[in-house]
Amino acid sequence: MNFKFPHYLFLLTILIFISCEQPQQPIEIKSSDFHNAVDQLTKIMIRDIFSPPVASRIYVYPNIAAYETLNQDSKAYNSLSNQLNELKGLKSTTDLTNVNLNLASLIAYIDVAKELVFSKDLMLLYRDSLYTLYENKNRKEFITSKNYGIGISNQILKWMHSDHYNETRVMSNYNIYSQDSSRWEPTPPAYTNGIEPHWSKIRPFILDSASQFQPKPHPKFSLEANSIFHSELMEVYNTTNAIRNSSDTSPEVEIAQFWDCNPFVSINKGHYMFAAKKITPGAHWIGICKIACKTSNADFSKTVFAYTKTSLTIADSFISCWDEKYRSNLIRPETLINRYIDTEWAPILQTPPFPEYTSGHSVVSGAASEVLTEIFGNNFHFEDTTEIPYGLPQRNFTSFQAAAQEAAISRLYGGIHYRSAIEAGLNQGHKIGHFTNSKISFIKH
Amino acid sequence: MNKTIVIAVAYILAVSCSNDTNTTTKLNDYLFTLVSPKESKVDFSNILIEDADLNIINYIYYYNGGGVASGDINNDGLPDLYFVSNTGKNKLYLNKGNLKFEDISKSSNCEGKASWNTGVTMIDINNDGYLDIYVCAVSGFLDFTGHNELFINNGDNTFTEKSEAYGLDFKGYSTQAYFFDYDKDNDLDVYLVNHAVHTTLNHCEASLRHKKAPYVGDVLLNNRNGKFVDVSDSANIYGGINGYGLSAAIADYNNDGWDDIYVCNDFHEDDYYYINNQDGTFTEKLKDNFSAISRFSMGSDAADINNDGYQDIITLDMLPKDERTIKETEGDESMFNVQLRLKKLGYKDQFSRNMLQMNTSGSYFTETAFLNTVANTDWSWSPLFADLNNDGYQDLFISNGIQKRPNDLDFKKYVASAFKGRSEKEGIQWLYNSISEMKSGEIPNEVFEGDAKRFKNRTGQWIEAEPNLSNGAIYVDLDRDGDLDLVTNNFGHTANIYENKTNGSHNHITLKFHYKGNNIEGIGTKAIVYSNRQKQLKQVFKSRGFLSSVESRLHFGLANATQIDSIVTIWPNNTYSTITNPTINQTVSITYQDSLNIYKYSTQENKPPLFTKENLIDFTHKEDSYNDFVEEKLIPYKVSNLGPALAVADISGNGFEDVFIGNSSGQPAKLYMNSGKGFTISHQEAFINDSNYEDNDAVFFDADNDGDLDLYIASGVNEHKIIALQENRLYLNENGVFKRTKNKIPSNTFISTSVAANDYDNDGDMDLFVGNLAHSEDFGPPVPSHLLKNDGSGNFSIDLNFKLNTKVNQAIWKDINNDNTDDLLIATEWDAPKVYINKNGQLKPLSLPDELHGLWQTVSTFDFDNDGDEDILLGNWGLNTKFSLNFDGPLHLYHFDFDGNGKPESLLAYNRKEQYYPLNSKDEMASQMNAINKLFIDHKSYAGKPLDQIIDTKSINASLQLKVDLLASGYLRNDDGQFNVFVNFPDAFQLAPITSFNSFNINKVDQLLVGGNSFRVNTYHGAYSAFKGLIASGETNFNSVINYGIAPFNEQIKQTQCIKMKDKNLLLILSNNDTLQTYSYQN
Repeated sequence: MNFKFPHYLFLLTILIFISCEQPQQPIEIKSSDFHNAVDQLTKIMIRDIFSPPVASRIYVYPNIAAYETLNQDSKAYNSLSNQLNELKGLKSTTDLTNVNLNLASLIAYIDVAKELVFSKDLMLLYRDSLYTLYENKNRKEFITSKNYGIGISNQILKWMHSDHYNETRVMSNYNIYSQDSSRWEPTPPAYTNGIEPHWSKIRPFILDSASQFQPKPHPKFSLEANSIFHSELMEVYNTTNAIRNSSDTSPEVEIAQFWDCNPFVSINKGHYMFAAKKITPGAHWIGICKIACKTSNADFSKTVFAYTKTSLTIADSFISCWDEKYRSNLIRPETLINRYIDTEWAPILQTPPFPEYTSGHSVVSGAASEVLTEIFGNNFHFEDTTEIPYGLPQRNFTSFQAAAQEAAISRLYGGIHYRSAIEAGLNQGHKIGHFTNSKISFIKH
Repeated sequence: MNKTIVIAVAYILAVSCSNDTNTTTKLNDYLFTLVSPKESKVDFSNILIEDADLNIINYIYYYNGGGVASGDINNDGLPDLYFVSNTGKNKLYLNKGNLKFEDISKSSNCEGKASWNTGVTMIDINNDGYLDIYVCAVSGFLDFTGHNELFINNGDNTFTEKSEAYGLDFKGYSTQAYFFDYDKDNDLDVYLVNHAVHTTLNHCEASLRHKKAPYVGDVLLNNRNGKFVDVSDSANIYGGINGYGLSAAIADYNNDGWDDIYVCNDFHEDDYYYINNQDGTFTEKLKDNFSAISRFSMGSDAADINNDGYQDIITLDMLPKDERTIKETEGDESMFNVQLRLKKLGYKDQFSRNMLQMNTSGSYFTETAFLNTVANTDWSWSPLFADLNNDGYQDLFISNGIQKRPNDLDFKKYVASAFKGRSEKEGIQWLYNSISEMKSGEIPNEVFEGDAKRFKNRTGQWIEAEPNLSNGAIYVDLDRDGDLDLVTNNFGHTANIYENKTNGSHNHITLKFHYKGNNIEGIGTKAIVYSNRQKQLKQVFKSRGFLSSVESRLHFGLANATQIDSIVTIWPNNTYSTITNPTINQTVSITYQDSLNIYKYSTQENKPPLFTKENLIDFTHKEDSYNDFVEEKLIPYKVSNLGPALAVADISGNGFEDVFIGNSSGQPAKLYMNSGKGFTISHQEAFINDSNYEDNDAVFFDADNDGDLDLYIASGVNEHKIIALQENRLYLNENGVFKRTKNKIPSNTFISTSVAANDYDNDGDMDLFVGNLAHSEDFGPPVPSHLLKNDGSGNFSIDLNFKLNTKVNQAIWKDINNDNTDDLLIATEWDAPKVYINKNGQLKPLSLPDELHGLWQTVSTFDFDNDGDEDILLGNWGLNTKFSLNFDGPLHLYHFDFDGNGKPESLLAYNRKEQYYPLNSKDEMASQMNAINKLFIDHKSYAGKPLDQIIDTKSINASLQLKVDLLASGYLRNDDGQFNVFVNFPDAFQLAPITSFNSFNINKVDQLLVGGNSFRVNTYHGAYSAFKGLIASGETNFNSVINYGIAPFNEQIKQTQCIKMKDKNLLLILSNNDTLQTYSYQN
């Protein structure tokens, strides 16, 4: 009965609108409408709890659909057809003359997004409220645009379904029976299974293969006092202890918390269990993209372009990073410190549930910052308000690179990564970002 | 407008509901009826006002409730009642007779001053003949002040708090006090159970318990001339930060005359089992004596429930009964990673369910809660063993209910989800507000009737099944009519007084003791009542169950016995006195007299055991790291750890049988040559080369008719699941060197479990039956098994006349119809066992009783009913299993590609009241079928739904369906060559899967050695290790292996085997992933 209640309301609204028979007006779709749709998707993703790699996939396909809908016949932007792996022969079935491209683009976005989340009903609710609004404004324009948008989104969905996501759902879990002392183990407090051990089998978008930018191997695992590995382990331990000892509100703690971006932090108080839910690293950079668009007053086309390019490089970053994570299967500092150094130590951030090397946030930040710099320019000052809804303050940055640097080092402050994973991760991300910039031609010259 | 309608409808519903309940409560045929507070004047309720400063979030035991104690404080013959209020005033009610009470709390001056009160015990601490009251408190946590309080009885219905004078003003996080005389100096010492409050789940080493934590750690206080002194350290009592102590059960568990302690710890900390060393110290021996314990151990009680003279233990946990709740809350199924982690850190296997630990002659405990249907009483606090219907057997009462279920999965994931934009303080307030969205955990108290064999649920018959929140509980004969009434302290509600209406229908006797010195109540006294050809043993301890304490008198039901043969009283100093033929149906006072004889416990006889431990073969089976559950996430048990393989035969021809043991993948098989005196390893290159194979079974036989013995090995799943390494293998013996053959046997890459050799076609060469269990990639479907015909020179081909598609666990050749031709007996799972009669080389299936589909692990023959012919023994899964919780009809397995992704799933569904529900949680299902996440966006939409509302009916109908009709092990009775009746083994054989039968001759009697257990199961099941090994000569004559000098079987027994040596016999006991045990014996 609860579920049906809103539907009644909608029926009612529709009835009211129809009976009013308002005159048909042109439908205007602005950048802010697109931002709203992205925010709506983010909200549902938080509700449904998606891991960072899966979240990156949920962001990218709706954007591609929106971008392609907008740019089939564009003077300014190239189609991605034949540019992204296995995306070929996109066809528009409709005569574009009566199509409101912005509207069609937004519709395509929502149409793909609804297939990616668990709570499809929530996306449909959002969609239906918009549909009602637009249909009442101008039914003809709406229907024509919708048909066109859905036509493109169907083709994107078809392509999406061949990316091996479904196949990887049923592949084996990470096996924790191993005796190898360097091998990753589930971490406190939830001891969650390793997330997405087969993510490298997902078809990349731009990269030739998941291993194209395989980072150099991590320092050889060793617990010898003078080994590089051991000194990096001690660096995590000492750095976090020093931060803790300095004060509760040290700048390092603030940095660590700001960039935590852990979608599901489990908290247990006896039997009382809850979770602090936040956005993912990818979502944070999608948020920065939004801020950049707004700060620079980007028009609808540029907004869609920026989101698309950013989410593409983020998605490939996760594929590349996860490829390395489950190649090296490296144990987290928390496990080693508790086992060999200090049984009571806990990191400042909760260790996320997957192997250590390389740092996902570093790869993603490296790649996204390269792409955003290419779009919005060097030394782009911005106020990062992305985390405010999650209880964290605003931070200001002088460039995307500066933000990426901070995001990367935050993992050391948080006590969840060794330095090598951060440095190699950032480097890996920069390469992916560069490659995105050089390989895919978005803007028509 | 809508809202108004909803409210109106809700109102109508509410009204009609309350009408319903009014009519049902009028029915009054329960054994126990609730006495209304108006009648009794007992209006106590444990009222708490949860607010942002104090709630379940900042105090993890906020919902644990308070205790209740009973005792006659004014010596008027009637037991009075004391109730603990966590944050309010405690209350004392004087019993005025006829179940009427008077509240004298204020005038008696014992309401308590501590901020947070917990447990209570009435005890005559100064031995002045007046009961004093000891109340535990949580202090020093949050802003809690105060300390444990001792209210000394002034003899005039008033009390004076004197804890400091006695050294009992403990300040810490106390749960309950347990008074007993551990050092036998004739005064009362006390074990204080305290609880941890910290909430970090960054699990530390189990050894942390050695490091004393003030406030938190349990303490043992020794009574030194009326002053209590902490002797925890010198007595070897743990006191670590992890000690989430919620109760203890004191008893002399090993019948050595000295009292031992079992402590229940919540969360990951193990329970403690302290054996009294009789010198003022204890040794903690949980690991040696218990196999599995409750994870969230709460209340506990000890009593001899099977009348074998040894006291058994129950510990309570929180496994729900309701189908919805099971699926809405976090259970053991999600504990795989945590369990492995805790094991590495040194913790014991713990599972979230009640455990009924049956004491086997003080040597070890076997856990039987599933068999007794007492495993799942939901969020349970206080268990009490008592004879509630006076029939001479211990019954069981369990108090239940939690204000809010904080482990609700939707709450965790979707309700209490974030601090979003709030300061820490605001965050806490926000979290606190979220508590109101947690589900209520009101559930009925439960009661079980005992008959010394099994408990039967009598909830709804003996007591009304009315949801409530009861914590502390006691039994006490309030109206002195000879039956035990029950009292519970309720959270937020008026206390329950259940009047027992057994009244005069059965006979009874109550014993009251007067001991000497500073223990005049005789705490620790045992009484054994002999009547009706049985004996009942009880021991006097006050604190029982949870937070509560009973009277020091012992109550015995006598059923229809009109007389008691004798009563033996064993006093705390282990002297004893005997009363013969006492008058029954009354309270009898027994007073200690000096210079009595010392009681001799009739423990083990002094004759040497039949079996002697040997160390003649040094072999350890070591499992590899392959994990079935990461490959197929919904399967109930592994099929990859079925080794080791054992084959025994005289290879060298010296008259003594040699031993081959195949290992798991990564470890070479070993061949041990028997000289008659000992064994030497025969180095075999081929075995080393093939060490990456997993050996499940093996047989020595002459494959190539050259007069020596060759070897066939059945292979299982290897560590890396390399298909080529799943091939079965034939090795030919060339002058003692075993050489792997090529192309002599048909390819077989299924998981092979069994190979048995026989010349079934009577052509002069040995043929083989090879049994397969499953495909290594696909748990569910049956697979072909074959007869392999020998061409006379060791080339084997499939006998196409024999077709068998099933899941084989074991097979043997045995002549069961006395025609001198061996027949084929096959144990299968998800199928009925198969018996093939060999008629001139043709194997004809013998018809067996219907509905015999089981999880048959092993098959053998033995004259189990001692009628002169051999019956067919069948080892099944047993009845002490989580499967038996939901077994109102056959267990089903559905095999189909339900999500259409090209990979089929094996789904289990259980039968609850003729509905099939998925066995797996939503998260488990989604881990194998992603679509589940879209179909069910939260746990409540999945919970309580039968399978056909989760999976579409079309797929279910299209799926391959397998079933299990019965779980019991038993035998097919041989009635003149007919096997038409399946007979269950006695309960002692049903405690875990039976995996091995082996018959041998001891003292000229044919005996059967039975082994079992299973660690192959997933964490939903936990581990089945309660079958400690039996030696039987028939269904009415069986004994634990320990009676023969054999250590209890704690591991997963694969096979046992007897071998003749020059001057003795050798028994080999082979277990999966364990060291080979050997014993010698004479026959």
